[in-house]
Amino acid sequence: MGFLQILTYLSGLVFVIAFGAKLLKYATMPMHVRWELYPIPHEGKEWGGSFYEEIDHWKKVRHKDHMAQYRFMVPEILFIRALHEDNKPLWYWSFPFHMGLYLCIGGLVFLGFGAFVQIFGMVPENSALASLFQSLTTVFAVPGYILGTIGALGLIVKRTTDSNLTDVTAGIDFMNLIWLGLLFVTGFIVWLQDPGFNVSRAFFQSLLTFGPMKEPMSAIHVVNLLIFIGFWAYFPFTPMTHMVSKYFMWDKVKWDDNPNRGDAGMDSKIKKYLTYPVTWAAVHIDSQGGKKTWADIATTNPWDNKEQK
Amino acid sequence: MRPEEISKKTEQLVTIKPEDLSPLPFPYDTYEETPITPLKEEQKKKWEHSLDGVSALTLPKPETPEEEERLVKAFLSGLEKLMTKENNWTFLQPLMLSMEYCAKCQTCADACPAFEASGRKDIYRPTFRADVLRKIAKKYLSKGGKILAGFRGHDIDLNWDTIARLAELAYRCTLCRRCASVCPVGVDNGLITHELRKLFSQEMGIAGPEIHEKGSVKHLKFGSSTGMTTAAVADIIEYLEDDIEEKTGKRIKIPLNKKGAEILLIHNAGEFMAWPENPMAFAILFDAAGIDYTLSTDLVGYDAVNYGLWYDDVQFARVALKHIEIARNLGVKKIVIGECGHAHKALSVIADRLLPGAQMIPRESSYTLLNDIVKSGKIKFDPTKNDFPVTLHDPCNAVRLMGIVKPQREVINAIFPPGRFREMEPHGVKNYCCGGGSGFAIMSSGNFTDWKRLVSGRKKLTQILNAFQGEMDPSIKKMVCAPCSNCKGQIRDMLESYEVYEKTGIWYTGLVELMVNAMVDQEKPFLEWPGEDDDDDM
Ligand code: SF4
Ligand code: SF4
Repeated sequence: MGFLQILTYLSGLVFVIAFGAKLLKYATMPMHVRWELYPIPHEGKEWGGSFYEEIDHWKKVRHKDHMAQYRFMVPEILFIRALHEDNKPLWYWSFPFHMGLYLCIGGLVFLGFGAFVQIFGMVPENSALASLFQSLTTVFAVPGYILGTIGALGLIVKRTTDSNLTDVTAGIDFMNLIWLGLLFVTGFIVWLQDPGFNVSRAFFQSLLTFGPMKEPMSAIHVVNLLIFIGFWAYFPFTPMTHMVSKYFMWDKVKWDDNPNRGDAGMDSKIKKYLTYPVTWAAVHIDSQGGKKTWADIATTNPWDNKEQK
Repeated sequence: MRPEEISKKTEQLVTIKPEDLSPLPFPYDTYEETPITPLKEEQKKKWEHSLDGVSALTLPKPETPEEEERLVKAFLSGLEKLMTKENNWTFLQPLMLSMEYCAKCQTCADACPAFEASGRKDIYRPTFRADVLRKIAKKYLSKGGKILAGFRGHDIDLNWDTIARLAELAYRCTLCRRCASVCPVGVDNGLITHELRKLFSQEMGIAGPEIHEKGSVKHLKFGSSTGMTTAAVADIIEYLEDDIEEKTGKRIKIPLNKKGAEILLIHNAGEFMAWPENPMAFAILFDAAGIDYTLSTDLVGYDAVNYGLWYDDVQFARVALKHIEIARNLGVKKIVIGECGHAHKALSVIADRLLPGAQMIPRESSYTLLNDIVKSGKIKFDPTKNDFPVTLHDPCNAVRLMGIVKPQREVINAIFPPGRFREMEPHGVKNYCCGGGSGFAIMSSGNFTDWKRLVSGRKKLTQILNAFQGEMDPSIKKMVCAPCSNCKGQIRDMLESYEVYEKTGIWYTGLVELMVNAMVDQEKPFLEWPGEDDDDDM
C-alpha cells in the first residue's frame, strides 16, 4: 500500500468521524420549542396555510402531504431554487458550482463501481458493464469539472467585485473557492491525459483491495489527488457542510409544526427539560446560580401579590 | 461596512439621512422627511447611542472602566450560556445551526424591510448582528479561536462599544423572519436577534424598558402590561357594556369568570384602553352568534400579550403558564385569542411545548372562529354597509409564523361588496411587517419613535399607499384592516405622523369592527372615521 492510499484512508476516516460527530451533535440536541415558518409543504395548502385555519383543529386527524416535502426539497437541493428566486445574480455562479460538485460526486461513484467490477476482471475493454461505468464516469465528471470551474471562478469574481459581498467575505472564503476550483481544473487536466479514467480507476481499485497501485500516476494526477484528500478531511470542519443545516433547519425547525397532543415521547422530553438547572444571572430570573430548575423559575411569579392594588 | 467595525472607537457608527431612505409612493413622492431628532446633550451623556444616534433602550453608559469590563465579561458568560442545553433547551438547535451555517450570500438582505427602507445601511443587514455574534463566539469562545482570526474572518474586538451597539442593534430588527424564509441554507437571522435579546435580558438585565419593566413585569405584577389591575377590569367591562348599548340599542352582558364556559376569550388589554370598539365588537358578534364564552379578570388572564416572546424565555414561560392555568381553572374547552398577532404565536405555538400534553389546553385563533361564525350563517351581513376600498395587513406572527392566511380573507370577502378588497403586494406569508413587530409598536424611549417612523414602518406604509393608488382622493374613504393590536398601534402612528388620512383618506381598524359594521341587525354605523366623533380615539 502506498503513501497516497494511506492518506486517502486517513482523510476518509477524518471525514466520517467529523461529519458523523456533527450530525450526532445536532441530532441529540434537545427538542426545541416550535419555531415553524410558513409555507410548510406538508400542510398541503399552497397559499401557506396551516391546520390553525381549521376550527377545532385538535379534534381532526392531521393529513401530512409528505410528497409535497420532496417536491419542494428536490429542486431546492438540485437547483438551489431559493437563490434562483431571490438572488439570481449569485445563482448564475452558485448553481454551476454546486451542480459541478454534484456531478463530480456522481462521477466518483461510477468510478468506484468501475473499480469494483475491475477487481473481478471486468474492464471496459471486455465488459459492457465496466464500459458503461466508464462512460458514466466521463458523462458525470467532465461536465462537473467544467461547470465547477466556471462556478468557482464566477464566485471568486463576484465576491471580489460585488459590494454586497465584499464586506462579508473573508480570506478563508477565497481559499475555499480556490481550493475547489483547483480540484476541478486539475481534475479536468487529468482527464485530458487519461480520457478513460484508467489510472483513477486503478487507484480506486487499490483502495478497495488494500493492494498496490500498478499504473504509474502523473505528477498532475498526484496533485489533483492531494487536493482532493486535503479537502475531504477539511470539509466537515467548515460551514460548507450546509447540507446539515438544510436538513435540520427545514425538517426539524421550519417544518416542525407537530402540536403537543400528549404523546409519550414528547411528554418525557418536556418533563426532563423542566428539571434542567438554570444559571442565568439577571436578577428577575432568580435562578440562584443553578439551584433552581426551569420548572421552579417558570412557575414562580416574583411580583405576585407584592404590589397588587 | 464590515461587522468587525462595530468595535470602532467613534462617536457614531452610522447616520440615517432622509435622502438615503427608500422612496415613498404618491402622494409622498415629493414629501420632505423630518430627520431623526438628535438626542439632547444630557441624554447623549447618559445613554449609549453610538450605533446610529438612536437610543431605544436608554442604556446607561458605564461609569468606570471596571464596570465596562464587568459588563463585557457578563456578555461573554451569557453567550456561553446561550449555547448550553441546560440554559437554552428552548432554542439551542435552531440557534446553533444558524450560528454555524451562513453561506454569506446576502439573499436575506433584500428580504429585510429595515435594511431596504434605511437605504441599505450595512448595520441593518440581517447578517450584520448575527455575524458580530458569530465572530465573538468563534474568537472568544471556541478553542484556538484567536489563531488566524483575521484570515478566518472573525477578528473582532470585544469591548464595551461592541456590546452597547449590539444591544441597540438587537432592537433594530422586528423579528419578522422574512430573512429566514428566503435563506437558501435555512439560517434564521431573526432567531439570532431573538437569542441576542435573551442574552442581554436573562444574563445582564438589559431590555427595552417598555417590554420589560413596563411590560412583562407590570403584566405579572398588576395583571396587565397596561397597568390595568384586576379590580379595574370589571369596571372597564361595564363601561363597554354601556357603550355597546349606546351603539346598538341592546344591553349585552359580557360574561366574566364563567366556570365551564366553552371558550376563554383573551384580548390584548391594550384594546380596552386604545380601541374599546374591538372588544365591544367581539361581544356583539359572540352574543349574536350564541357563543358560550367568558373573559377572565384573574391576574394576567385578561391580557393576552406575552412580551417575553420577544426577549426573555423565562418571562415568556411565566405569562404563558398563567394563561393556561387560568383557562384550566375555569374549565373551558379552549382559549380563543383576540386580535393580537404575537399573542397568537406565543400561546398557540411557542407555549405548545412548555408542559406535558395532558396539562395543555387547546388554543384557537379568533380569525378562524370569526370565519366559522360567518360560514355558519348565524349572523346576517350586508356587504353594502362596507362600501369602501379595503386592504388587509397580515400580522407576521399569525400569518408567516402560524399559517393563518385564509380565514381573515374569507371574512373580508363576505362582508365587503365584490371588488372592494385590494391585496397588498406581497401579502400572506410573504407580507411585510408593520414595522412595530417584536415590541417596537409600544417602544418609544429616547428617539426610537423617529427610527420606527423612518425605517421599520416605511415598507408597510409604502405597501398601504400602493394598495390604493388611483383612488388617493381624500374624499374616498379607505380602510386598512389590521387584525392585531400591535400592528394597529404602529399603523396608527404611521398614519398620524404622515397625516395620511388628511392627505389620502386612508384609515385603519380591526377585523371585528368591520364585521359588526356590516351586520344587518346593526342600525347605526359601527365604524367611526376620524373627525366623525370628537370623542373618537380610534
Ligand atoms: S427578522 Fe425581519 S427585520 Fe429582522 S433581520 Fe430578518 S427580515 Fe430584517
Ligand atoms: S441568506 Fe442565509 S446564507 Fe445567505 S447570507 Fe443570509 S443568512 Fe447567510
